[in-house]
Amino acid sequence: MEVFIAQVINGISLGSIYVLLVTGFNLLLLVAMIIHFAYPQVVVLSMYIIWLVLGYTGNNLIIGALAGVASSILLNLISAPLFQKVMEKRGEVDINSTMVVSMGMGMIITDVLSHGFNKGHPIAFPDTLAGGDAIVRVGLISILPGQVYAFGVGVVAVSAFFWLLYKTRPGRAFRAIAEDPSGARLVGIPLLKTGLQSYALSGVLGGLIALLLAALLGSASSALGEQVAIKVIAVSIIAGLGNLIGGLVVGLSLGIVEAVVQGYISGTWSNVIAFVIMLVVILAKPNGLFGLKI
Amino acid sequence: MKKLMVFGVLVTLLLTAGLGFAQTKVAVSEWQIPFLNCLTGPLASHGSMYQWSTNRAAADINNAGGIAGKPVQVIGVDTANDPQKGTVEMARIVKESLVSLGPVPEPVIMAAMPIAVENQMLSITATTSYEYASKFFPWTVAWFPPYPKRFPPLAKAWAEQFSDMKQVIQFVEPFGPWPMMAEAHVAGLKEAGANVLKPIEVPTDAVTFGPLVVKALEQKPDGIIFACNAEKIAKMIKELKSRGWKKMDHILVFSSGDDAPLYTVGGDDINGIQVYNYVNPDIDSPRWNAFKTAFMKDHNGMTPFSLSTNYYDALFMIKEAIEKTGVAGDPSKLKEERKKIADYCANVKNFQGLMFSWDMKNGEPTNKPLFIFEIQGGKKKLVKEIKLKG
Amino acid sequence: MPLPLYYFLSITAVNILMSWALYLPYRMAHLHFLVVANMAISGYTAAFMVLSLQLPFWLALLTGFLLGAIIGFVVAQFIGDAPTFAVVIVGFTFIYITRTVIENTEAVGGTMGLFGLPNIGGDPAVHRWTILAILYGLVLLVGFLIHRFDHSQLGRSASAAFIDRDLTTSLGIDIKKLGILLQTFSCMLAGGCGVLYGFIYKSFHLDYFTFHVVGILMTIIFVGGYKTLWGTVLAAPILYGGPLLFPPEIASWRIVIYGALLIFVLVLKPEGFITTRFVYRVEALLSRKGTKQSLSTNSQEDV
Repeated sequence: MEVFIAQVINGISLGSIYVLLVTGFNLLLLVAMIIHFAYPQVVVLSMYIIWLVLGYTGNNLIIGALAGVASSILLNLISAPLFQKVMEKRGEVDINSTMVVSMGMGMIITDVLSHGFNKGHPIAFPDTLAGGDAIVRVGLISILPGQVYAFGVGVVAVSAFFWLLYKTRPGRAFRAIAEDPSGARLVGIPLLKTGLQSYALSGVLGGLIALLLAALLGSASSALGEQVAIKVIAVSIIAGLGNLIGGLVVGLSLGIVEAVVQGYISGTWSNVIAFVIMLVVILAKPNGLFGLKI
Repeated sequence: MKKLMVFGVLVTLLLTAGLGFAQTKVAVSEWQIPFLNCLTGPLASHGSMYQWSTNRAAADINNAGGIAGKPVQVIGVDTANDPQKGTVEMARIVKESLVSLGPVPEPVIMAAMPIAVENQMLSITATTSYEYASKFFPWTVAWFPPYPKRFPPLAKAWAEQFSDMKQVIQFVEPFGPWPMMAEAHVAGLKEAGANVLKPIEVPTDAVTFGPLVVKALEQKPDGIIFACNAEKIAKMIKELKSRGWKKMDHILVFSSGDDAPLYTVGGDDINGIQVYNYVNPDIDSPRWNAFKTAFMKDHNGMTPFSLSTNYYDALFMIKEAIEKTGVAGDPSKLKEERKKIADYCANVKNFQGLMFSWDMKNGEPTNKPLFIFEIQGGKKKLVKEIKLKG
Repeated sequence: MPLPLYYFLSITAVNILMSWALYLPYRMAHLHFLVVANMAISGYTAAFMVLSLQLPFWLALLTGFLLGAIIGFVVAQFIGDAPTFAVVIVGFTFIYITRTVIENTEAVGGTMGLFGLPNIGGDPAVHRWTILAILYGLVLLVGFLIHRFDHSQLGRSASAAFIDRDLTTSLGIDIKKLGILLQTFSCMLAGGCGVLYGFIYKSFHLDYFTFHVVGILMTIIFVGGYKTLWGTVLAAPILYGGPLLFPPEIASWRIVIYGALLIFVLVLKPEGFITTRFVYRVEALLSRKGTKQSLSTNSQEDV
């Protein structure tokens, strides 16, 4: 029983990573109709910026965090015109094009990180970021502060963005611009200002996610983004594209499934089993378990 | 008596003159040695260190007069860890090059080495296992002995340090030869009287390691061996510590895991663990001290990692081969000269490497030592030297 | 033939064929990444047949094609008419499954890979010419078939399905059957390519078939043009050969260049460099020239 509880906690910790990344991914989908395949790579780049700034400022966490958020917002704002240009031709071009544009971004980010940062070696974050020793340790069961933050923020972020996007006026404005810019303009929504706000919002989330991942994982490598990108997009598809609550449930579930499979069956087969389960689900429910929200 | 002396002097003079005439005149103005290396891609960090070492070797050789009096230049050729690129680059090299270094890493070796073999050109793959290199003999040489020869004595020596080590578990990542390396540890562990538990497979794309560590600890091991990527090892050690693991010296990291990320990610959490590899940083020799100092200066204080000296030595081996066999770099004798170099390197005796000397027998090194170290404060302290017999 | 040219031509041919294997299902908006898994499955099977069972290369090649077709056909029964993203997940799943099975199968070399594939015909020169002949024969044959497909009712149905599935279905087009046809053919093609790819290198390693390959193929299709087959023919040699000619300082950034090119093309020319309009213009020009020539010949005959 102790082992099972420990594995479930491990699974929730892993699932929290997926939840955070899927929430950011879904947010961009909802506010800008972008399938940002390289969203994890953008987050990893923010992690590298945090690491760089921590190095220069003697591990000043506040400045590091601000730098992460700022870099994420900046990246989003820089990439916004590219995506918007592609979406302008939405009549002729399907949504897959945004996915392919983001794949291009991902290729660039991964290669730049492997070339230019720390001579291509993985980076390590200070232990203070993780928040110290385990909060709970009973036999094999261990809960670290980083795990609690990641899970907690994941749940809060999903709830907060769900409330913002579906229960508030600015949120409705974001979604209106994403779905029909001309219609949004007609009803008086300022396109440029609101559009920029939506990108900045997802940038803020991206920066926060970078900080939480730095705390949870303790290190990052240039390949980290690619390693999780496929699972993030899979979780989003299984949950239902744009479905925030679905992303939370499926992300946590995938984490638990992977942890249990690794713990009881085999490490190398965990990806296969997880993907086969997702495959069966998607064949039975092509629009996702919880339905599309775009 | 006088006649005898005159005769002796004449013979000596004749011999000297003959040797002088017999000494081959070098045809090249500069020796250009291509190095097929992974300068970009996921292993770019290693590639840049190999390139640094090779450039350093070239500089040291040139400062001492070059190869047979002519300077040497190492030309870095990027394979980008991509067989599509590696094959075309090797195909270009085999046309005119006398010898080459690399390729790096294994997927490119597999794709590109058949070209070197077909064209009978030696290409020294100094950072891969015997199990890969031996497939391309005699057109490469192995830098390491076969796993079944080197790892059982090592694993036995490690386990025998601890009388309380009854059960050992291994964390194994399914990458290249690493599963074979882990398997080779088993014989030695059993010889030392340890029970080897079912290994824990570490997925290549794992980002958290809690489930794997819990699975391992559930089996109540007394000792742990890691055969995975360095960053993963560091994270798993942290995970072990967070779940109460205390016997740090009962953890052994394999040679490929003794890499920069182990130290930068592991930090103080890896104090006390043991690691094995072929590089003893505390050897005191002028050559090694100069190399180490320069390496640390150019790599933010990082000590040379286990594979960083290999291509340095490889270039010196080529130098020795050229000088001892009288190769001139004559394009009209390319095939013949390539064979001379390959034959020499495959059976070189008492080659003076940067850290120690060794012999080659039919492409296999026969007497390279292995070292077990304990890590403290980011530094390695020698625990044991294991001499392997050919 | 110079050796670098052989490798350039053979690998370019594989890239063209694999890009067409992705192009065909994408005519219906299916990103069918299963083709990468097919390369690996058929390739390793063929290598096992040749190395362990001592069977001839031709049998292994045919088996590779057949195995690809069978896998493609069976899987297509489930995803022939599935939404794009379901097809993407299927592809990823099969890539993971394939890699894990191969890693754990000692008979096909496991994580070490398979070495020492023999020369076809027992001679390196014969081997190379045979590989090139097969590859470019395939390029011509498959190119012809895709050209005919694009100009047929089936091709127009695929184009309609790309734009609006519901409308296409309401016009009486069976999307599932079309999907099955395209996916089966693309998997068959990928299977054969996998075998040939390994025989170019005379070895197989898992890292020959990674997600990185998906990125390269996507770049070729989208930069070249995803609405015609000619885009791939143009993009494959340039994207592969260009970096080989760059100076090392620039070549080391080739992935960044690919990514930038991908973004640049999609933003400025979403259809890619070779668009359908451009192809029609060229075809019209060629057919007009042909008509003029035959008219002038006829008039001369009259005189």
